[in-house]
This record gives sequence, structure tokens and C-alpha cells, in this order.
Amino acid sequence: MSYHFTPNMLPLVIAALIAGILAWYTWQHRQSTGVRPFSLMMLILFEWVFSYILELAATDLDSKFFWTQLKFAGVIATPVVWLLFALEYTGRKAWTTRTRIILLSILPLVSMGMILTNDFHHLFWLGKSLASEGGFLLLSTIYGPWFWVHAAYTYTLIMIGLVLVIRALLRWPAQYRGQMLWILLATLAPLIANVLTIFKIVPALLDWTPFAFIITGIGMAYALFRHRLLDIAPLARDIVIDGMKDGMIVLDANQRIVDINPAAQSIIGLSGEKQPIGKSMAEVLSRQPGLIEKYRGVDEISDEMTFGEGETQRWYDLNLTTLRDENKMVLGQLITIRDITQRKHTESLLQESEARFRQIVENASDMIYRFDGEGRLTYANPSALHTMGFENEADALGKYFLDLTTPEMRHKLKRTYLHQFMSKTPNTYNEFPGLTADGREVWFGQNVQLIFEDDQVVGFQALSRDITAIKQAYEALRIARDQALEANRAKTQLLSKVSHELRTPLGGVLGYAELLHDNTFGELNLGQKKAAHEIMESANYLTNMVNELLDEAQARTNITVLQEALFAPAILIQQSTAGTEVLAKKKGLQLNTSLDPNLPHELYGDERRLRQIIINLVGNAIKFTKEGSVNVKFLRPTHEHWAIQVMDTGVGIPREAQAYIFEPFRQVDSAITRDNRGIGLGLSITKQLVDIMGGRITLESEPGQGSAFTVLLPIKTKTGETS
Amino acid sequence: MTKPLALIIEDDPQLNTIMSITLQADFEIETCTDGNAGLERLKKTVPNVVVLDLNLPGASGKEILQSIRADERLSKTRIILTTADERQAETLHDEADIILLKPVSPAQLRELALRLRPIG
Repeated sequence: MSYHFTPNMLPLVIAALIAGILAWYTWQHRQSTGVRPFSLMMLILFEWVFSYILELAATDLDSKFFWTQLKFAGVIATPVVWLLFALEYTGRKAWTTRTRIILLSILPLVSMGMILTNDFHHLFWLGKSLASEGGFLLLSTIYGPWFWVHAAYTYTLIMIGLVLVIRALLRWPAQYRGQMLWILLATLAPLIANVLTIFKIVPALLDWTPFAFIITGIGMAYALFRHRLLDIAPLARDIVIDGMKDGMIVLDANQRIVDINPAAQSIIGLSGEKQPIGKSMAEVLSRQPGLIEKYRGVDEISDEMTFGEGETQRWYDLNLTTLRDENKMVLGQLITIRDITQRKHTESLLQESEARFRQIVENASDMIYRFDGEGRLTYANPSALHTMGFENEADALGKYFLDLTTPEMRHKLKRTYLHQFMSKTPNTYNEFPGLTADGREVWFGQNVQLIFEDDQVVGFQALSRDITAIKQAYEALRIARDQALEANRAKTQLLSKVSHELRTPLGGVLGYAELLHDNTFGELNLGQKKAAHEIMESANYLTNMVNELLDEAQARTNITVLQEALFAPAILIQQSTAGTEVLAKKKGLQLNTSLDPNLPHELYGDERRLRQIIINLVGNAIKFTKEGSVNVKFLRPTHEHWAIQVMDTGVGIPREAQAYIFEPFRQVDSAITRDNRGIGLGLSITKQLVDIMGGRITLESEPGQGSAFTVLLPIKTKTGETS
Repeated sequence: MTKPLALIIEDDPQLNTIMSITLQADFEIETCTDGNAGLERLKKTVPNVVVLDLNLPGASGKEILQSIRADERLSKTRIILTTADERQAETLHDEADIILLKPVSPAQLRELALRLRPIG
């Protein structure tokens, strides 16, 4: 056995190499759709070409025939693998079951058997001889009857594959067509060459088919690398459609399921069951007959539907599209189903929340409204609409905010809110008169909050209250207060004037009475002297009354402003009792003073008013005491307080009178008071003065046992604070 | 021995009379019934005591008080201020020697005036 290789065989070697490399390379990617049969096909081509090279190179008949027999192993396997590739590549992988592949392989296997045993029956080849042509030493064979059976079978499978591929080519999107064209070209080249060889259309002994495989190799390689055949096979359907979370169902024109992905099966509750492909939709959805009815005859629809109830209830978004060919004939329907339960759930929570807040806002008695950045009304709740005098929201929306106020306020409000916008002050409160749609004036108490969007002011919202009634009440109150103050001032002035005007004639009365009484105008008899004395007494009473009235009037109107300064308590107690000492002596009473050694040497206060308090109290004590003593003490009861205490051994004050003794014009009605007439303002004024000083006056008394008045006062520092 | 001089400036004639009667035993008396007359008189004479009403027609008692205090010539003149207005009197506490709130008791006036009269 010897072989003779010539350079003429080089193209065949290249074709074998390309086929071999493609087989090896594509096998690495055999998981992709259609790649496994493709790789196998390349491997078989490699075997075919490889055997053919050796057949050509062989120099004797037996060797040549041996390689021919081996070559035919590839020849008869190629159409089967091609068909498998075409089926898988055009999305019919499901069809290629094991049984079917075995069935397809029966005839080729028989053929192979025939080839190997040809010498005994000559059914495949009738005869063989050597021939020389174009520099090649060739095996010339005469085909037997089984060869034609084999040829018919081969062409049938190849044609089926071609039809599948061409049909797919027409339907596929443009981006896949280029790739498929190259595959077609690669496939057709050897087919044409084969036809030429078998039917001896080109009279030659050389088999052109393997040479055409060079075109096949180049074509396939180009399809592979240029169009990325292995990366995205057009029927990535398995991955994309089956992996989709959305359900997808394709129906034919008779409502039978052509395709359904796992998600759709799971949604309609078919998971785990046998493939529903081929069943009618009505059969599959026998549990939901309403659904079929609902979408019967519907051409195109987007709808929401629900399966299940309660906790397990799920919501779906259903899209139904009717598929038509170019002649508008119905091909079937495409249904996609998306699970929108989560979205529905969120939506319903949002709706609830929105409804809740809306209810609060709509039912609020306060006015709530919003304006956009231009100052145009964009929302007003019913309370706001009502107060602003609008019949309905449509009338109000778009109104300019300044048009809702009285004209004279507009300039000021514009400035106010412009300032808020510019300074981005988040909150303001303003009161202003608003103008209602029906022309009434209503006072607004308006809280304004700015609405921000990305740090930009895009409008404002307001929470307001109708404060008209409050404003009116306040105005009425202010007028009343002014009137009262005015009336009080007038009263005080009158009182002051009257008192003042009374003093001068009183001077005349008192003066002349005293002069008479003191015998200035000659010696008086007893009756005359008594009369003069009575005039003096009455004049003195009237004087006291005038003094008290004036003091009371001043205290009432708070004209009494304390003139505080540092003073020495020792001097105060001495000065304020000196004047009354004469009176005490006249009545034969002891007037004692004492000073607590713990008292500071200097205190801060209104010395003149304190003197007035002491004189009042001591004067009263002397007045209501017939015998015994009047004691004036300055005490230090606590660290923060000092006290003035005036005790007497007088008639005392009945318990029931103690309650009202400090009220103006109240006096204890008794023989003593009738003897000691006053108008009952002394203690009232004293209490008012003590109050002004921030102190407290208390009384302890038992009828017949005397009385003790205690004035408790805070010790103040110079700044007026209590120490 | 000449009596000290008391100048009574009081617009109410009755009070003026009462004061004059009250003080005439111990003082040489001169009287005026309005402020301007009082001021004129004070330019010519140096009274020991002036009994001065605060509320006067013409120059007010306050003006007269200040004019006396500003006059070196009258540095020894004592002033008894009489007034019906307690608050106003209070503000002049430092400038007057004595303040009497009307109505004025003649006995009290006499006693106080004698106390102010320079000894000898």
C-alpha cells in the first residue's frame, strides 16, 4: 500500500483543517442552541474530506476503495446531522427525541452495512476501476441500486432542512438573516457540487463535493465570527422566554396553545403537569370559564385580573395581542401576563394613605391651600373655599394670591412673601384682611410654608384660620380699654381737681376756726369755744377725707410709681413716728419703736411711700387705742424679707371684719369708729401700696386684745431684684 | 428790738389774711397776692421767712422759689412752701425749708415760722 500526495490536494487539506478547527472550537460552546449538531456536522465533514484526501493519495485500487468506504461513513451521516441542526436551530429541538434520531439513522446504517459488504452483493456499487484525470489517479465507480436509495434519502433530509432554514430566514428579524444566509450558502455549495458529481453533469471522475466544503468551511467560519453564531443563537428563546418572570402564551387561530413558558404555567396553575402545548385554552382554563368568555373575540386588550383570594390573592396585568400575517389573516394570539401583586399592594397602601390624609385635609375646619411658584392657587380645601367665598374649586383654582386680599394690603403682602421666597424662610405667620369672592373682608391668620423641590422654591402652602371674630373682639376690647382708661383718667383728674380746690376753702375754715378758738379775736365764752372746736373738727375730718380720696384715686390709676432709693431703716422708723408721737402723748399712750439688729443698715425702696404706710398704721393704732401702748417694730423674719409691725393694745377688730378691713370704704361699725370718723380708705391705700411694692399685709387681732398689722416686704438690691 | 420780716405770697385773700393774723405777733408782715408782685418785692427787701403758695397767678411759686435760691442776697431767707398738691410739693422737697400741705393750721404755721426765725 503506497500513497502519493500532490500539491493539488492542498485546497482539500485546508478544507479539512477548517472543518476540524470549527468542530473543535464549536464543541467548546455546545450548550448553545444548534451548536452540538453543527459541531458534529463539522467533525463528519472533517472525516469525509480527510478520507477523500487519502483516497486520492492512495496508489492502488484496494487502498482507494478502503478510503472510499470510510469516506461514505461521513457522506451518509451528513444529511442526518444537517437535519438535526436545522431542527434545533429553527426552534424544533423538542422534536428531536432519541427515538426519532434512531429512526432517522436506520436507513443510513443499512447503507453503511451495504457499503462495507458491497463485495458480496454489489448493491451499492456495481463495479470499480482506476482512472487518471487532471493529475489525479481516481477511483471510478458505477453506482448500484441501493446507492440511489441512499441518494434519495440524503436529498430528502437535506431538502427538509433547507426548507426549515429558509422559512425561518424569512420570518426572523433582519439581524439574524445575514448569519442564516451564510449558513445557507455554506450548505448549498457542497449540495450543488454533489449533484454535479452524482449525476455526472460535469463529466469528470473527480468528486467535487469535498472541494465545495472549502466554501462550506469559510462560510460557516464567517457566520460564526462575523455574526457571533454561538453567542446569541436566534432561538435564545429557551433562555429568554423560559427564564422570563412574565408569563407568555402563544395561541394559534383555533385557540390552541402553541407555546407557553414556565412562568405562565405557574400563574395559571399548571406547574408540574404535562406540557399543555397543543391543548385548547378552554381546556387548560376549565377552572376559570369566565376568563375565556371575557376575552372571546377580543382583538387587543390590556387588562388587570386576579387569581385566588385573601392572603393568596395575586394580581396580574394581562396583555393580549392578536397576531396576523401580512394579509391580515389571524395567525393566533400572544398573551403576556405580568404579576403586579406587589405593585397593587403598594398602590392600595398609597391610596389608603392618600385617602386618610385627604379626609383630614378636606374635613379640617382650618383653611388649607396651596399656591404654585407664580402665586396661583392650585388647591383649596372646602373650608378655605367656603371662607374665600367660592362656590366650587374650579372657580378658585388659578386665582392670584394677592387678588384674594384687600387692595390696600397687596403691596405690603407682596413684599412680605417675596422676602420669604428670597430668604427661603421655611415658615411665617401673618395676619391680614382678605377679600372674598363676594367682596366681603375676612381676616386671615396665615401660616405659610414654602414648598421646595431640589432646593428651589416651587410654591407655598398655607394653613389659615378665619380670625375675623377674634380681630373684631380684640378691636372692641381695645376700644373698651381705651374708653375705660380715658374714663379713669378723667375721674382721677376730676378727683384731683376737686380735692385740690377743696383744700383752699378748707384752709379758710380751719384757719379762722383755729384763730377764733385761740382767742385771737377776743375772749370766747364756753359755748363759742366749743362751737369753734366743732368747726375745727369738721374741717379736719373733711381734710382727711380729701387726702384719702386723692391717695385712693392715685393708687387706683396706678399713678403711684415707686421712687426707689437706698434708705436707712433707723432713720425711717424715727421720722415716720415723730409726727404721731405728739398725738400719742395727747392720749396718754406709749409709742415704742424697735429695730431688729439683723436688718441691713440700708434698704432699697420708696421711703416716702413706706413712711405713708407707717403713718397710716400708727395713726390708726393711736386712733383706736384708749390706753396702753403702740409698738412699731422693724423685723427680719427671713433672709429675703423684712417687716414692719404695728401693734396696739386697742379695741381690736372683730373676726368677721378682718376679711374686709382692707377693702376701700369699709369700716368697722362701732362706738369707737363713730368717735374717730374717717371714710375708710387708709387701710385700702396701705394695702395697695404694699401690693405695688411686692409685699403682703396681714392682720392678727382679737376684740379687746388689740391688733397687730404686719407688712412683709422683700429685701431688694439696688437693681430692684429681690436678694 | 425790730421784729423779723415775713413775706406772705398767697393769692387767696382769706388765707392771706389768716396767715397775716397768725404771724403778726412775732413778725413784721408784708403780703403779696400774685407771683409777679412777690418777685418785685423780693428785689427790694430781704425777708427772714417767706410763706410761699405754689399755685400762683403770674410767676409761679416754683419760679419764686428758684429765684430766691439763686439770689446770694437772700441766702439766709427761709421758705415755707404751702400747697394743695402733694405730688408737686414732693419735687421741691430739697429747695424749700418746710412744706405744708393745705389746709394749713395757723398754730402749726406759727410754731414752724418761729422755729425758722433766726435767733437774735
